[in-house]
Amino acid sequence: MSTFSKYLAMLLCSIRIFTSYAQTTEVNTNLNRAPFNSNAAVNKEIKKDPVKRLPMDTLLLGETSAIVNIATNDDKDAFTFSEGQLNEDEDVIQGSSAITSSNDDYFLSEVGYLFSPMRFRIRAYDNQYNNVYANGVLLNDAERGNFSYGMIGGLNDATRNREGATYLENAGFGHSDIAGASNINMRASQYAAGHKLSLVGCNRNYLARIMYTYSTGLMNNGWAFTGSASYRWANEGVIEGTFYNSLGYFFSAQKIINDKHSISVSHWGSPTERAQQGAATEEAYWLANSHYYNPNWGYQNGEKRNARVVTSYEPTILFTWDWQIDRETKLTTSVAGKYSNYGTTALGWNGNAADPRPNYYKKMPSAAYDVWDLNYEPTEDELATWWESYNYWKASKANRQLDWDYMYFANRQSNANGGEALYYVEERHNDQLMLSLASILNHEFNNHSKIAAGINLSTNKGMHYKTMSDLMGADRYTDIDKFSVRDFGYESDYIQNDMDNPNRKIEEGDVFGYDYDIYVNKMNLFGQYTYSESNFQISAEAHIDGTTMERYGNMRNGRAKDNSKGSSGTAKFLAGGAKLAALWNINGNNMISFGFGLQERAPVAYNAFVAPRMRNDYINGLCNERIWHQEFAYRLSYGPITAKIAAYYTLINNITKQTGFYNDAESTFTYLAMSGLAKRHYGIEAAINYNVTSALAFNFVASIGNAEYTKDANGFLISENAQFVKEDVVYMDGAHLDGTPLTALSFGVDYNTNGWYLSANANYYDRVYISASPYARLADVVGDPVIDQNGNEILNIPSQFKGEGGFMLDASIGKSINLRGGKRLNINLSLNNILNNRDMITGGYEQNRGDIKYNLDNTTDARIYKFTKNPNLYYASAFNAYLNIGLRF
Amino acid sequence: MKTIKNILILGLVLITATSCMNDFDEPDFKNPPYGNNSLGNANTTIADLKKEYASVISASSVQEITDDIIIEGVVVSNDISGNVYKQFVIDDGSGAIIVGVNDTGLYAMLALGQKIVLNCKGLHIGGYGKLAQIGGLYNGGIGRMSAQVFEEHVKLTGEASLEANGISPEIIDGEYIKKENLEYLPKYVRINNVHFEEADGFTKYAPEEEVYNNVVERTIKLDGTSIVFRLSPYANFAEDIMYTGNFDVVGILTRFTSRNSNSVTWQFMLTSLDDIIPVEQQ
Repeated sequence: MSTFSKYLAMLLCSIRIFTSYAQTTEVNTNLNRAPFNSNAAVNKEIKKDPVKRLPMDTLLLGETSAIVNIATNDDKDAFTFSEGQLNEDEDVIQGSSAITSSNDDYFLSEVGYLFSPMRFRIRAYDNQYNNVYANGVLLNDAERGNFSYGMIGGLNDATRNREGATYLENAGFGHSDIAGASNINMRASQYAAGHKLSLVGCNRNYLARIMYTYSTGLMNNGWAFTGSASYRWANEGVIEGTFYNSLGYFFSAQKIINDKHSISVSHWGSPTERAQQGAATEEAYWLANSHYYNPNWGYQNGEKRNARVVTSYEPTILFTWDWQIDRETKLTTSVAGKYSNYGTTALGWNGNAADPRPNYYKKMPSAAYDVWDLNYEPTEDELATWWESYNYWKASKANRQLDWDYMYFANRQSNANGGEALYYVEERHNDQLMLSLASILNHEFNNHSKIAAGINLSTNKGMHYKTMSDLMGADRYTDIDKFSVRDFGYESDYIQNDMDNPNRKIEEGDVFGYDYDIYVNKMNLFGQYTYSESNFQISAEAHIDGTTMERYGNMRNGRAKDNSKGSSGTAKFLAGGAKLAALWNINGNNMISFGFGLQERAPVAYNAFVAPRMRNDYINGLCNERIWHQEFAYRLSYGPITAKIAAYYTLINNITKQTGFYNDAESTFTYLAMSGLAKRHYGIEAAINYNVTSALAFNFVASIGNAEYTKDANGFLISENAQFVKEDVVYMDGAHLDGTPLTALSFGVDYNTNGWYLSANANYYDRVYISASPYARLADVVGDPVIDQNGNEILNIPSQFKGEGGFMLDASIGKSINLRGGKRLNINLSLNNILNNRDMITGGYEQNRGDIKYNLDNTTDARIYKFTKNPNLYYASAFNAYLNIGLRF
Repeated sequence: MKTIKNILILGLVLITATSCMNDFDEPDFKNPPYGNNSLGNANTTIADLKKEYASVISASSVQEITDDIIIEGVVVSNDISGNVYKQFVIDDGSGAIIVGVNDTGLYAMLALGQKIVLNCKGLHIGGYGKLAQIGGLYNGGIGRMSAQVFEEHVKLTGEASLEANGISPEIIDGEYIKKENLEYLPKYVRINNVHFEEADGFTKYAPEEEVYNNVVERTIKLDGTSIVFRLSPYANFAEDIMYTGNFDVVGILTRFTSRNSNSVTWQFMLTSLDDIIPVEQQ
């Protein structure tokens, strides 16, 4: 409650400021130049079909921009509760990649939305390779590299003015990485004057949205004000046990001082509370009779309560000074500050309390006997156990979910014995304080050549800690590590999470477990040169960047007495790169383009430290990633047909990555840091439009590629109790990148008449891999090579799980009605997955546990339950509808 | 301007009305959220039950209970420390019996001092090394019942408190263990003023290195008779240094009967380290 009242107070204050300044005189001008003057010449050849697809921007179709999909489909988190769990941060949005292209590239502008139900990522690139700027300031998360879409959640109207660039295009506003870049224009004068109100009803993560935007436009006195507010809500979203409660607000003021100078300030935030969906195994889905079974929730007092709740709020303020030095020269300088709060709750359990997860493997029927061995005859006892478990799962919905009442009762029982909390809810925080400055100079020498050059400086403090969110009625909780207790006993220093405050009693709200800060400073300099003639264009860019990072521990961890508190020392990385691209307009109908780039890129701080929750150590072999990219494209414009085909190849070397899991062999939580990884992305993209008449058009879009690891990793394992340290090879070579269809095809038809817009798309997806488990690929786990039939030695590396291909049908219908007095009403209905295909896997992860049980006397047994055959999966949404009514007045 | 204000205010009202969707009241436990609350009252004492099945128990065999037998008892030992595994012991004052359940973390519901009612009909009773146990079938002998079966057969009553439920350990001496006394086992006991033979200020309770047959054995002597503590390396005190002084100890007295030689050994089932009470601190 208190956090929300805080948000509200801040909001009310901002509203007051905004409303007192806003004035009624409206003059609409547009200071902005076309972002890519020279590109426009080329791009006119591949102009979009005259049959307008739904005019997204003017129709206020919020959801049609990929942003909302990304901001809400962020459920790809490892569903684990263990105390030392590292992967919870995976929660940060990993959805489909944003549309970051020059606006006229049909392929790039369409695929993001078209394929968003499958969380398509362009070329399967990781989101950290996509740069998002606002008024020229880079807003990507300094620690992880990706842009957090939660930062602008619900602010569709306020963030609609965007320019984009692919890697090989000169963005003009900053460096674009291999997955492209976009720049949100947040100057108040850039919003269309007037009121916009939109109402959404849907059956997705949220059920309703209201959004209102008002802009004065540029007034006679040189001021412009824009405000936008939205609220998204679901008491229970389409996934059972989830809720959504999100406000978004945006205020911007701009003063055009004179012909040369303009200053603007913008402030926005999106306080959000939402509950998450968890992945489950196919067996659990089968028992629950739904691919949308969500193990994260359970009943408390008869009410549904979710254990995984994300609370986020990233208020940001942005100052911009535009200086039109002369007709050809412009200097844009912006300063941004952000204080982000991000917390995610998880259940914890203590002592010898049983694992409360309803889908814990021991609770599954297949833990009774080896159901995968079809030749195996189960004994009577085993069959009885199987049926008992099966019947329990089937008997009631409550049996398939968490039992909060049970957990509260357990704590009460423990209180009666003077014991500790057996179950509790913790909140893992990742807060950030960021200050960033960017200054970009754009100059046109003449009609043919122009340059852009700029600097981006940023400093970021990331605060990582967890707090006791809910003791669930328990009297006591002591800040010690339960795994270490068994290994070292209660008297040992090893069990202390904070040696300077040993055996500290934890109350609700207290920080416990771990507490550390990560400091990241970045500097980026770039220069771009573009030369254009009527039939060709050459663009070149070079950039250099410096990164420093440091971990500072606020707790002295008993498992790392001498290297947990204080500074890790600073690591410095100098990187940079260059790229070159050329376009040749052979004649009016044919155009080819070619480009390549080479760059080094500092590793992200998130992957730089080994077991950062307790230690100050950098990963061995930490160095710059090295990226090579090349691309070729051909564009055709022939009568009613326009087409594009492109081929790309990207190689990324020296990748570091880390993960954490419960290690069966050592019976303890273990961190696995991998270095020396390499990835390769290559494939073909195509788009064809055929305008049959001015009202009817057909289109076809294809993305067929591959994205895979091409090297094994050097693994470094260290256990939570620090007693187990080992280096080992991880056989990652050949594993595919996951969570996106590597084959995605779409056939569509668009039709418009008398203000009606109709479109339908049949989409085919295939080759969606799920995240390959590094544990299953450890040399130690894979074991010695075996001799195959041909006498060759082969390693028994598990094959990666892959979803089956399938079709989905989407359609939308819309109508735009002009009302009296210049008002306009837009109505749009989007229907997704009309055929209700419920079997499309969007991603998931293999379990980081093996099929071998390790006994105390160093012998092993085959485990009855087969972790390797039970990956956790996510399925694409079932049939869903999205109705948007927009009014502009 | 008014419109803006009105709409924003409306929005805010909405938000205040629905904010913090994750606030929940603590459950009130009129009925425990575990077990079968429809069970009736006990009609048999544990001593009578053991007497009725004495031949089955002493033969270390097993039999299904088909009569409507309901017992009650107070939990006197459980898996709180991890030393006891997948079983617990109840005592109703007339005697004690082991209950085997194929589940971990039993102590979350079956706290020490919790009184339970156990409907024995449909469960199995037998002797595990001649020790009375209720559970399920395992390889033709007495084993554990499944967690689901247990939940259908158990009801929790009242608060968890040994004192309130009037159960206390019987203090036994050297004379007691000189007799056979098998029919009374397992028994909730207190033994006063003993010490660990192995304790030297360095030796731990149950370190992994000393594990044999999944346990580590430690010994106390009472009037010259050895009583073996079978300690699990999974106990949360396994790596603690053994207490070197004299202590009183509370727990479950059992005997192990070797199948081959029929020789018997006194054993002591320790619930947790809290049950080792240093003499000097008393």
